[in-house]
Amino acid sequence: MIVDLPGTTTAQISQRIDAMHEERGEAAQGRVLTLLIATTDNRLEEALEIANGASREHPCRVIAVVPHEDSDDGHLDAQLRFGADAGAGECIVLHPTGALTQHLDTLVIPLLVPDVPVMAWWLGEVPENPSLEPLGAIARSRITDATHSADPAAAFAALRANWNERDTDLSWTRLTIWRALLVSMLDQPPYTAIREVTVQGSHGSLPVDLLASWLALKLQVPVTIDRDAEGGLMGVVFHREDGDLSIRRTGPFDEQAVIEQPGQMDQHLSMPKRSLEECLSEEMRRLEPDVVYGEVLAEGWNLVNHD
Amino acid sequence: MGHHNPLRDSRDLRLPRIAGPCSLVIFGVTGDLSRKKLLPAVYDLASRGLLPAGFALVGFGRREWSDEDFVAYVERSVRERARTPFDEDTFRHLAEGMRFVRGEFDDAAAFEQLSKTVSELDRLRGTRGNHAFYMSVPPSAFPIVSRQLADSGLAKSDKGAWRRVIIEKPFGHDLQSARELNRVVAEVFDPDSVFRIDHYLGKETVQNLLALRFANTMFEPIWNSNYVDHVQITMAEDIGIGSRAGYFDGIGIARDVIQNHLLQLLALTAMEEPVSFSADDLRAEKIKVLSAVRLPEDLSLHTARGQYSAGWQGSEQAVGYLQEQGVNPDSTTETYAAVRLDIDTRRWAGVPFYLRTGKRLGKRVTEIAVVFKRAPHLPFEQTSTSELGENAIVIRVQPDEGVTLRFGSKVPGTAMEVRDVNMDFSYGNSFTEASPEAYERLILDVLLGEPPLFPTTKEVELSWQILDPIEQYWATLGQPQAYRAGTWGPKEADEMLARDGRCWRMP
Repeated sequence: MIVDLPGTTTAQISQRIDAMHEERGEAAQGRVLTLLIATTDNRLEEALEIANGASREHPCRVIAVVPHEDSDDGHLDAQLRFGADAGAGECIVLHPTGALTQHLDTLVIPLLVPDVPVMAWWLGEVPENPSLEPLGAIARSRITDATHSADPAAAFAALRANWNERDTDLSWTRLTIWRALLVSMLDQPPYTAIREVTVQGSHGSLPVDLLASWLALKLQVPVTIDRDAEGGLMGVVFHREDGDLSIRRTGPFDEQAVIEQPGQMDQHLSMPKRSLEECLSEEMRRLEPDVVYGEVLAEGWNLVNHD
Repeated sequence: MGHHNPLRDSRDLRLPRIAGPCSLVIFGVTGDLSRKKLLPAVYDLASRGLLPAGFALVGFGRREWSDEDFVAYVERSVRERARTPFDEDTFRHLAEGMRFVRGEFDDAAAFEQLSKTVSELDRLRGTRGNHAFYMSVPPSAFPIVSRQLADSGLAKSDKGAWRRVIIEKPFGHDLQSARELNRVVAEVFDPDSVFRIDHYLGKETVQNLLALRFANTMFEPIWNSNYVDHVQITMAEDIGIGSRAGYFDGIGIARDVIQNHLLQLLALTAMEEPVSFSADDLRAEKIKVLSAVRLPEDLSLHTARGQYSAGWQGSEQAVGYLQEQGVNPDSTTETYAAVRLDIDTRRWAGVPFYLRTGKRLGKRVTEIAVVFKRAPHLPFEQTSTSELGENAIVIRVQPDEGVTLRFGSKVPGTAMEVRDVNMDFSYGNSFTEASPEAYERLILDVLLGEPPLFPTTKEVELSWQILDPIEQYWATLGQPQAYRAGTWGPKEADEMLARDGRCWRMP
């Protein structure tokens, strides 16, 4: 169910939400967090679809904010979505204009679910310093996605310089399955020393840089990035005394990978690409600061040549 | 093992744990449990990326199947039941490691073949000598399968590799048989590699219960005989025995459900706070509280049993137990059982625990209700509180996992009147949809070698010590009291609580 509220106020929106809950006989408790989405008109539907999917695991109130700075009156249009149109929660879409766009924090404060964590997610251009953004400052965790901005390297450089423990970029979240696999590969004998590591991937792929930084930090050995490949992160080779242990995707954009090791048969396995929805769900599952990510940015990053 | 993996970091909370290389051998792979639960769970684990590249699945059964027939059978079961979408590539990788070994349990040559098959998999799939054996077979077959595994050298592992065995409940049918079963299994496998599984009791449930009791301050201070009047633990099923007559008749619901499931729930509800949540510390507390359980002196007054008769369960017509296919028409097997147990500790002195379970009851529900004493003084007119019941905390185990608080609240209006209301929290709303199915969790725990939260030998034996005298007493009685299908059990059970001045909750 979709309700349009043109030229409205936050008080009217709250009242309308309460009335809808009463009418539909559902309670608004049960929501485990409020998700603030900062986005633009052209990506709004995509954002809501992803948030609705993630809300099935973590019922939340979604507040999508689409500022229109160019018009100069301070005006608010809103839209409410319930039930089938809103996953397991409710969605509020806010279109503030003019001066209102400078006060996004006080715009959403009356609409936050009481007493539960607030998460902010930027879909589209990445702010230079998420913790100083009005929506970021009131959030307990801040999610950006530099990979999908116009200049990923520049966007990520700014995020790294301004990093705060509550910030996470989804380039890191995309690596979780890879990292788990690499950990499990090193769980197996022979435990021979690793001399060097090569990470293979394409130019401009942030996950490649982050994975290399993580490996350099944890293994304390030289890690080089080989950027001859296409298609993002392609593989990792551990150079050990007794030969190379490697995991590689079978081809660019393939969802298959193969593990090779001296004296063992090749092992094939699935490597499904992670959807944005899965990444967002992972962030919702854990709201604590990610210390490992912090160390990778602060220390690991400088151990690797990123050219 | 002494090896420290430099990539592992306990602060790295994102990383899911992936099982190491291994094979899973399922005995009784053509059975219902395997088709409906185990095989789909294995696929779901694979598609979530939690199985290692070196994974193999071996079926052992009586059918004249080739490996291809087995793969086709697994595919059908996965397509029907798996909760993650079917992906050709994922399944293909899994299928490359599937083998079928044909044989009877008493056929030494078949186990020879099994032994060859797994060592071939060690070579081809890199399973590295790690093997888990899932006994999805009747308990009567445990001894022979264990023996054969030992004789063919499968039960013992080389250095650095592991062997594990998974046994489903029931763990025997009385103390003596449970001991015998333990003895047989212990001869072959060491105690740490035996995983006893009670699929009613998912790890999620246990952990939810522990979190509710020990992560909060508001419940623990009143969790004792100063405030609690009594506790009711219910596990009700709406279905009859279905096709399980062969197993169920002569065993009865008390052995099937009270012995393991309800007594485990009782232990988790009543135990003291463990010093840590490690399997050992948890086990220590459960054993303490189970060993403090006291049976009523007069079993005729404080136990009840029943047998369902024909009727309508909800909107569905149901035959009586004695008319079920495969049931002896003179059977005295109970399909409903209720018992009162007391716990001799300072915390619970004088607080009875009522356990009940039955088939063909009003609806399917499992819950723990902690019912509190009435307020010692009510500063209201008598008439204001005539509708006020006892406060309660109800832990709903299934379906719709969650917690309900029941307390009095003023009825809106000018008159002062207090009535019971419910306040609800539902895990179903908040955390479930994508939460892993119990069997996935369970298989993964075994493959990872996570110490299980499942009952140990000692707990199993203590539970039988509690139930055996009741079973012996019931064996001297005749026919259990009949109750109409779809009701909440026999009159006897209501009378049993009425004697104590209490009544059963309606779940």
